[in-house]
Parts: sequence; structure tokens; C-alpha cells
Amino acid sequence: MGSNLLTPLAGIVITPGLHLQRKLGPLTINVDIVWATLIAGAVVITLGLILRSKATSGVPGKFQLAWEMAVGAVQTQVDDSIGPRGAAVVPLALTLFVFIFTCNLFEALGIGSPIDFLPAPTSDINLPLAMALYVIVMVHRAAIKNRGVKGYFAHYFAQPFPKKLFFVNAFMNGIEELVKPVTLTLRLFGNLFAGGLMLALLAALVDWKFGSYGVIGGVLSSVFTVVWKLFDMAIGAIQAFIFALLTILYFDSAMAPDQPH
Amino acid sequence: MPLATSNFLVPNGTFIVVLIAFIIVLYVITKYVLPPLNAALSERQEQIRGELEAADKAKADAEEADVERRAVLEQARTHAREIISQAQTTADQIVTSATAEGQAVHDRIVTAADAEVVVARQAAVEEVTARVGEIVLAAAERVIGREIQTSDHQDLIDEAIAAVRAETSGAAAGAGGAR
Repeated sequence: MGSNLLTPLAGIVITPGLHLQRKLGPLTINVDIVWATLIAGAVVITLGLILRSKATSGVPGKFQLAWEMAVGAVQTQVDDSIGPRGAAVVPLALTLFVFIFTCNLFEALGIGSPIDFLPAPTSDINLPLAMALYVIVMVHRAAIKNRGVKGYFAHYFAQPFPKKLFFVNAFMNGIEELVKPVTLTLRLFGNLFAGGLMLALLAALVDWKFGSYGVIGGVLSSVFTVVWKLFDMAIGAIQAFIFALLTILYFDSAMAPDQPH
Repeated sequence: MPLATSNFLVPNGTFIVVLIAFIIVLYVITKYVLPPLNAALSERQEQIRGELEAADKAKADAEEADVERRAVLEQARTHAREIISQAQTTADQIVTSATAEGQAVHDRIVTAADAEVVVARQAAVEEVTARVGEIVLAAAERVIGREIQTSDHQDLIDEAIAAVRAETSGAAAGAGGAR
């Protein structure tokens, strides 16, 4: 028992990346992540359609006001950084924020078991990667639309240093463009994945015994879990916001007029 | 359904499914949720702008009406002052003319009265003068108890009359001087 007191988590096995899986031809599907994603999507679409049926130009209710605040915040951010040209970015950034926020809230439902019934879909690498790649592809498409194919490539050689150093420019810009989707993915995934791990660790704390007083670990686990989940919901909101904000900023640099440096 | 652990940093087929799910959500939000919300927002902005404009207009109207009201009030005050000053002038004129007329009437009456007084006095003096001789003689007869011959004392009588006349005319002149 003494060794258990000093090392409360000794002998606990946490298995990150454990999923209900099914083979679909050559593909492996994480079934729990898929249904959690579908449920999150259904929640967002349902809330959206409820709004659609209720939207009024008169005095808005709290529900409509919440949507309007989100749209207003995104709209303001887009207007401030990109300007009127960025109108097309608003739906994407808004969807990203609302959808990621909804997904992140699922973590409040988890109990830290190896398989949660409704895991946060963003705590699996696939969804953050899918969204990040979608964003990056759209950003490059917007850049090509803005600068033309030739201008698009020339842009990477022309700045930030004088044209003589085009090789350095290309190298630096290349690294930056490659890193963008990776950081966008891993930032979101890492935060939510860590949140799940934290829940698993707190759940394992139940096993911590102090002599014959077996409840101490359970009490601590319960209290810490509540505190952590509140904190984790704030993290979820912040990460959703950051993802949407970075999307807007990436579009901003892609749609900015090409100035000589 | 098998439980399996894979490297959590390596994406798998889930990627394709969740990408499609995300694109569907994006499509629905873009096509069906945002347009009505934006329409409601811009319509409300339009309404608010209209209401603000109406409020501005109402305010301008009220200010205009206020200015007009003040002008009318000022005009009315000026008019009232004019009326009052005219009335004052008229009253002054009436008083002045009435005073003058009264004075004239008064003077006329007084002058006429003075003249009458002088005539009456003159008449009284004449009458007294005419009768004083007789009265004096009658009084003297009673006093001495016998008839007095007028002719005997004519000089004395004349002297007395002259004294009376001088006395009365002196008194009349004194009365006239006091007027």
C-alpha cells in the first residue's frame, strides 16, 4: 500500500488511440469517431435549421442572438483583416468555429474510459487534419485566384528578401506553407487529445488508496474531474476560436494585394 | 466490432468520412443557415436606420416648429407692446385735451362770474347810494325828533354820500383785488 500511496498512478494502463474500428476495403474506419462526428454535425445542422425557421428581423430571441454574436464576431474579424473581398470566408470560418466548438464540448461527456461512448471527434487526428487540409486547399485556391498561376508561384520567390535571394525565399516560404496545415491540425488535436488523457489520468486516480481509507482517490478524482471539465470546455472554446481565426488570417495573406518588397 | 489501437498520430480511413461530414455541415450552414440570418440582420439594420432617420426628421421638425413658435410669440409680444403704447398715447391725448377743455370751461365760467359779480356790486352800490340819503334823513329825524329840511343840510348829506361811496368802492376794489 505504501508504494501505491507514493506513486498513485503506478501500474495504470492508459491506451491512447484505442478505437472501435472496422475495415472498409483498404480503409480502416474509427467507428466511434465517425458517429461522434456525425452527431456533432447533426447538432450543428439542427441548430442552424432551427435558427433558419426562427430568424426574424424583429427583436431576436436568445438563440438567434447567440448565432448573431458568432456571425458578427466572424464578420468583424474578416472585415478587419481581409476587407470586403473576404466575404466568402465568413461561412467557412463560422462553420469551423461552431462545429469545432460543438465537437470539443463532447469531451465534457467523457469519463476517461479507454473507449468513450461519445468521444470528442477533434481528439482524433482525422477530423482536425480533414478540416486543416480543407482550409489550406481553399487558401491556396484563393491565392491562385488572387495572383494568377504565375503570380502565385512568383510570390514565393519574391519575398520576404530581395529577388537575388529567391532560393532562400522559396525555401522559407515552402517550409511555412508546409507547416501551416500541420500546426493547424496538431494544435487542435493535441489540446483535445490531452484533455482526454487528462480525464483518463483523473479516472485512474480512483485506484489511489491510503491505507484502509480507500475513498480518498475517488473523492479527489471526482473533484478534479469536475474542475478539469470546466477548464476543458474553456479550452475547447478557445481552440475553436483559434482555428477559425487562423483560417481567416491565412486567407488574409493569400488574398492580400501583392506588394513589391 | 474489433477494438484496436493504432498510432494516434497517423490518420486512417476515418479522414475521408469525417471530411465528407464536415463539408456537408459547411454546405448546409453556407446555403441554408447564413443567408436567412444575414437577411434578417441587414433587414434589421435597415429598419434601425430608417427609424433613426425618422427620429432625426422628427427632431428637425420639432426644432423648426419651436423656432416658428418663438417667432410667432415674439411677434405677438411686439404687437402687444405696440397696442399698449398706442393706448397709452391715446389716453395721454385724451387726458391732455380733456384737461385743456376743462380749464377753458373753468376759465370762462370764472370770467363770467367775475363780470356778474362786478355788475351786481355796481347795481347794489347804485341802489344803496340812491337810498342812503333817505335812510340817513329818516334815521336822523328819529334821532332828533323833528323834520329836517333837506335843503338845509344838502351839503352835509352829499358829503356823507361821498364818504359812503368812497368807502364802498374801496371795499369793492379790495374784494376784486383778492379774487
